[in-house]
Amino acid sequence: MAAHVLIVDDQALNRILLSQMLNDEGYQVSMAFNGQEAIKVLEHEAIDIVLLDVIMPVMDGFETAKIIKNNHSDVYLPIIFITSLDDKASFEKCLEVGGDDFIHKPFDKVILNAKIKAHRRTRELSKKANQQKQLLEYHHNQIEREHEIVEHIFNNSLENQDGFKQHLDFNLSPASMFNGDMFLVAQSPIGNLYCMLGDFTGHGLAAAIGALPVSRAFYTMVNKGKAVNDIAFELNTLLYNLLPGHMFCAATIVELSASGKSISAWLGGLPDAYLIDSEGNIKKTLESQHMALGILDKHEFEYDLIHFEVNSDTRLVLATDGIIETTNKQDDFFAEDRFIATLQSKPMITCEDIIAHVSDFAQGLQQQDDVSIVLLNCLPLPMEEKPREPFSTLAFNLSLSLNSKQIKQTDPVYDIVNILSRIEGLNDHRSNIFLLLSEAYNNSLDHGVLGLDSAIKLQEDGFFKFYEMREKAISELKDAMIIIDIRYCPDTLSLHFMICDSGRGFSSQSNDVMSANNEFGRGLSLLEEIAEKVTYNASGNQVEMCYKLI
Amino acid sequence: MNLTTRTSADGKALTIQIKGKFDFNLVQSFRQAYAQIDNGTNKVIVDLRETDYMDSSALGMLLNMKKTLEDKVAVFEITNCQPQLKKILQISRFDKKFDIS
Repeated sequence: MAAHVLIVDDQALNRILLSQMLNDEGYQVSMAFNGQEAIKVLEHEAIDIVLLDVIMPVMDGFETAKIIKNNHSDVYLPIIFITSLDDKASFEKCLEVGGDDFIHKPFDKVILNAKIKAHRRTRELSKKANQQKQLLEYHHNQIEREHEIVEHIFNNSLENQDGFKQHLDFNLSPASMFNGDMFLVAQSPIGNLYCMLGDFTGHGLAAAIGALPVSRAFYTMVNKGKAVNDIAFELNTLLYNLLPGHMFCAATIVELSASGKSISAWLGGLPDAYLIDSEGNIKKTLESQHMALGILDKHEFEYDLIHFEVNSDTRLVLATDGIIETTNKQDDFFAEDRFIATLQSKPMITCEDIIAHVSDFAQGLQQQDDVSIVLLNCLPLPMEEKPREPFSTLAFNLSLSLNSKQIKQTDPVYDIVNILSRIEGLNDHRSNIFLLLSEAYNNSLDHGVLGLDSAIKLQEDGFFKFYEMREKAISELKDAMIIIDIRYCPDTLSLHFMICDSGRGFSSQSNDVMSANNEFGRGLSLLEEIAEKVTYNASGNQVEMCYKLI
Repeated sequence: MNLTTRTSADGKALTIQIKGKFDFNLVQSFRQAYAQIDNGTNKVIVDLRETDYMDSSALGMLLNMKKTLEDKVAVFEITNCQPQLKKILQISRFDKKFDIS
């Protein structure tokens, strides 16, 4: 595109001469009669070069040049002063106010053209530089904004590590804004405490990003009370599918039982963990057993756990390699020996103490990697009382009559418990409901309908023989019926069960004879303990049970 | 599979984990789970973390296991019991024969 030149001169002759020359060279030309007008033109038109006279009415060239340079500071806008050769005194002033060059009267076409070309090139370079600067600024702002958002998400998804103050002391020092190390804590419904320390390849955002899906999956699995190797398996699959080939996550996942007496751990690729006493003496060194998460395919995954007993005097120490690989000015590593000595340097040492030792050692050298350390005190965990679900106020009856075909093909106890579990308030009782129904139903089926004798169980291997006979008897079963009737009374908060079979009945008295140690008496005595009341009819083919929900 | 078996890294502990319901349907697989136990194993852990239901047939299976392994294995644990199952085990006085947690 042709350069756009603005001629600012109060003398018509100069304007005409210059515009003629410029037009001949194919430039686009605009004109102004004085400085003020020139400034206006510059506001509306994309001018590339200004040819500026010095002496003009209204606003002279010196003042105009200052204003133009001030208004157009982003991109180089060349100002070429129109002067007389003999007016050398004003040259200096022209440069002072921001002039870039001179063109002398009388005008020489070749010189004018050469000067315009040269300044235009500089302007084009300046334009490009400015565009790049803007682009950089845009990207910089964009990244800052994205970092803020990501930081917010990280904080929200990783924040809930603050509980368990008695049990946990930990310190995570990232080498940059985002941490490639990750520490997760959660408690399962039965009260076990789970911790996971992970170290993704590298550091910074690229390393930290994996923490998001991992934390999600971890919390979900803990909430289901999964074993640590099952959690490790899930996380491994997740990361194997998610991370690029050169990235992985070294991790230790531990589960402290609610009693505080035992720990199971899956150790994949982190430095040694230590079990110490309150004095810091090493009682056990736990070496990594497996490859880091995200390396092995599903079918190659290794499940092996380690189990060990702990007590309230024991502490588990987990750390990422940032600690032992910290270097000093002599290029020595902090290393395991110093780490172990640090643990023993003080009873009940804290993470803060350990970090202080490590940074003393580093002699002020900048931290190269994320540094994380966790101290887990092996104490029992208080169980939170879960708020009980309110009970449904709707009374109902559930009746089933099972014929021999249904007895053969279905698992009515399990199905009924599943149905009842969905009633508000009954889910908390599902294990007991299962036990009552299972005992009563199997009693009716095994002894009433099938006529099997529990005494078989007393023989050598009788337990298994009994279930083989039972299977055979069921497959041959004909013309039988078991009726199950369940009644829920919201007023008394009780469940009433009636189970009746088409068999010849059994003698309930015989139950008293059986000692609780016998294989077969156990079921019926359990019924008596769990249910409020258990009654049999005279012929022994019907049992009624009342179960109190509170 | 509702029953999984794993040996710990040092080979000393056998863990049998049961999912869902622990009843007579598992008679065969539960027996198989400890039939091939290693000589070095001195602890059996029955992990009930994912067990919702059990009845007296499960109690029978546990006792059978203990009887079979008593000479080889020193410690029998039943771990991660949900509160109602723990109560069933206590009512049945299993806490005298197993470490229950």
